Amino acid sequence: MSSKAGYHGVVLSVDLSTGKSQKIPIPPEDFDNFVGGQGLGIKILWDRLKRPGVDALSPENPLLFMPGPFSGLPVPSSSRTCVVTKSPITAPRKSDHSHASTVTYSNMGGFFGPEIRFAGYDGIVITGKAPALSYLVIDDAKVEIRDAGKFKGMRTDAFDRAILEELGDRKFKTVYIGPAGENLVPYSSILHTAGRAAGRGGSGCVMGSKNLKAIAVRGTGQPGVADHAGFLSALEKARKVLNGSAYAKSWAEQGTARGIVGNSKAGTESVRNYREGTFSEAEKIGGEAARRDVWVRDIACYCCPLACKKSGMTRGKYGGVVHDGPEYETGVMLGSNLLISDMAGLLKAITTIDDLGLDQISTGNVIGFLMEAYERGMISRSFLDGIDLKWGSVDATLAMIEKIAAKEGVGALAAEGVRALAWQIGKGSEKFAIHVKGLELAAHNIQANPPRGLSYATASRGACHMSGDSAAMQNRRAMLDSTGMCFFPTFEPALEEPMLSLLSAITGRTFDKAEFEKTGERIFNLEKMFNYREGFRREDDRLPDRFFEDAFTVGPKKGAVLDRDLFETTLTEYYRERGWDPKTSSPEKVKLKELGLDGLSS
Amino acid sequence: MKANDEGGYSRRQFLKGCGLGAGSLVLLGQFGIHSAAWALSGEPVLKMVLVDYSKCTGCRTCETACSASNHPVPVGGKELPGLGNPYYANIRLHNFNPDVDVANVCAMCADTPCVRACRVEPDGETGRRALYRDEATHTIRNDSARCIGCRSCAWACASQRTGTISPNPATGKPERMCTLCGGDPQCVKKCPFSALSYVEVRNNRKFYGQGPEKIAAQLARNWYGTADFGGLK
Ligand code: SF4
Ligand code: SF4
Ligand code: SF4
Ligand code: SF4
Repeated sequence: MSSKAGYHGVVLSVDLSTGKSQKIPIPPEDFDNFVGGQGLGIKILWDRLKRPGVDALSPENPLLFMPGPFSGLPVPSSSRTCVVTKSPITAPRKSDHSHASTVTYSNMGGFFGPEIRFAGYDGIVITGKAPALSYLVIDDAKVEIRDAGKFKGMRTDAFDRAILEELGDRKFKTVYIGPAGENLVPYSSILHTAGRAAGRGGSGCVMGSKNLKAIAVRGTGQPGVADHAGFLSALEKARKVLNGSAYAKSWAEQGTARGIVGNSKAGTESVRNYREGTFSEAEKIGGEAARRDVWVRDIACYCCPLACKKSGMTRGKYGGVVHDGPEYETGVMLGSNLLISDMAGLLKAITTIDDLGLDQISTGNVIGFLMEAYERGMISRSFLDGIDLKWGSVDATLAMIEKIAAKEGVGALAAEGVRALAWQIGKGSEKFAIHVKGLELAAHNIQANPPRGLSYATASRGACHMSGDSAAMQNRRAMLDSTGMCFFPTFEPALEEPMLSLLSAITGRTFDKAEFEKTGERIFNLEKMFNYREGFRREDDRLPDRFFEDAFTVGPKKGAVLDRDLFETTLTEYYRERGWDPKTSSPEKVKLKELGLDGLSS
Repeated sequence: MKANDEGGYSRRQFLKGCGLGAGSLVLLGQFGIHSAAWALSGEPVLKMVLVDYSKCTGCRTCETACSASNHPVPVGGKELPGLGNPYYANIRLHNFNPDVDVANVCAMCADTPCVRACRVEPDGETGRRALYRDEATHTIRNDSARCIGCRSCAWACASQRTGTISPNPATGKPERMCTLCGGDPQCVKKCPFSALSYVEVRNNRKFYGQGPEKIAAQLARNWYGTADFGGLK
């Protein structure tokens, strides 16, 4: 029995270099202060990496799989796992430390986080490097590292089947990398159920650097709760709010894909490498078209009443099984952003990217950058190994995706992301290399959406569309991603009260709105402390020049462009609100003290 | 007919309640052809949890609801539903790639291959083997005191029907037979997608009594034009 209600009280720590694993107790105050998921992940990362400049791809960098206090309990949409590690992608403009990078976190749905808790842990911490490609099997208390030599180079869809065949039981929940992760492409993802991914920030690359192909978990237990009766009644309330509600139904209908047409109409979509906010052919790749031509069923994550994942099939030249998509991010990054409007072709690109284990967002962004550089004559066809990388070309996009995952020819440079490409190409291409701190922006364009620009500029992992458009939103989001609950049901405002009651009943600690936000603020500030220690300063919280110079030329937001002075003023206000020094972005002592983080500062 | 819904209803009660003999037509109207056939044939009316695979999203809420209600815990002197550890659920989701999810639950077979496979001789008084159909609830139950843990029932169920029986890994004794929650199936109530219903057993329904792999293969062929799930059976 753990000393802290709602938790097992331990994480499983596995050192792949020695092959040893052990349960490590987590101090109860860390659960109180950092909750789980993203928050507890960053705390463990902070504790383990005591100095800046640790190479993200070194054995020392821990790779964390973090469920939250909701995980493993039948809380609606409590499906998320947060993968936390030090980023192999980001870098400050200058730093005293050669391998300086931010924290990174990537959040995925499905069934993995709950299964970690069924197996008896509040998280998995991987360090070291296996001598050869391996996979990890966690069967309740039994932990085993096995040889994965025969799976080397295997794509994720085939591997998803092969690993279960090898394990002999479908009840194992698995996460794995594809060829891209094995090849150490920085923006590699970690896949789960062949169609769900911890995509952003390069966690798949860190996993690859550890020679870890996969983790399989199976468990029979469950954590307890502090207030059983309170939990049951709050659970009923939460279910009542969501189950069969108008909101749940509308979300199930198209999932995030609704935004493909919606945001195009609003002028907030990433189109033509962020040059425009509206795509005239968005309807062809939107949710309605997918519902009509592609999707055959709605799929839910653990205990989720929303079911926004869609699977289906396409026919013809690009035909095949579609595990997921288009979603908003994948549909826009590989569709609108590349001017691809052929639904089957788009889905082939999305499926291929997942199959190779790349991040959809960075991949789409990189290809968009190359298409623009090619169109402008900054790079030649021979630079692209003969690929005629024209806007809208599915075949060229597919060829490029393969090159990147294999790091072959032009793919070796493209695998390093748009920042590296712009350095190499020069000729002013930096202006349209759309990244922050080295991480590529996502499918939300910002000329007509300044608050989202702030999210990209100030997020802890580099350009992140999910971070939150204000300090308060960032705090709430960081906290939510620490609980194990998905973001999407929280669009339903009536869920907030039962959600807080559930959290309180599980942990025995009263979470009201204020405490929820304060805890998120603590988490966000610890991330900032980490990044600041690495050398990230105000000048790193900047946006690419395109957003201040290239006004939209089409769509309802035609003429929209960001104002540099306004952006700087907003940034200064943001730091002030945060209690950070507006000059350097350093968190002030008073703030750290208020959050109980002063003891941690180094 | 509340009594009928609750499942604890014998053929004799049924006949009495309907005044059978005189009014078999009334009976037909009220209960449908299958109940009528049952009443006349002397078979007990059986009810089951039916899955609509086209509505099921694989969310596993049913597993948690089943486990919570069938594994209550004492809290402050009261029995409360448990926390819903899906490991103990009598309805279980089987996931496949390409994406097919099959909720698997006892089909309440009229001919009970599981019971017939039980190696324990029928008890002189009750006529029960270690595995038996409960007279009141019509569900399959195990008398663990007499069960020898030979797994014959599980094997029979897996090879001929749904495979819902899962022998306890330590004792080999059968578990996960649906209890119908005493006539108020919680999985049906809690499914967020209305994919489950509580209905009379009819063995001519599509997929009736089939194992998850078989069902998944048919669904996958329909949905994706392929049923290649890899080698795992
Ligand atoms: S609760 Fe309903 S939708 Fe969810 S897995 Fe069970 S049957 Fe399927
Ligand atoms: S499904 Fe299996 S357990 Fe249920 S009655 Fe049929 S054979 Fe017995
Ligand atoms: S395991 Fe028990 S119930 Fe099943 S057949 Fe053997 S003795 Fe009968
Ligand atoms: S009816 Fe009750 S026992 Fe049977 S599967 Fe549903 S919840 Fe479980």
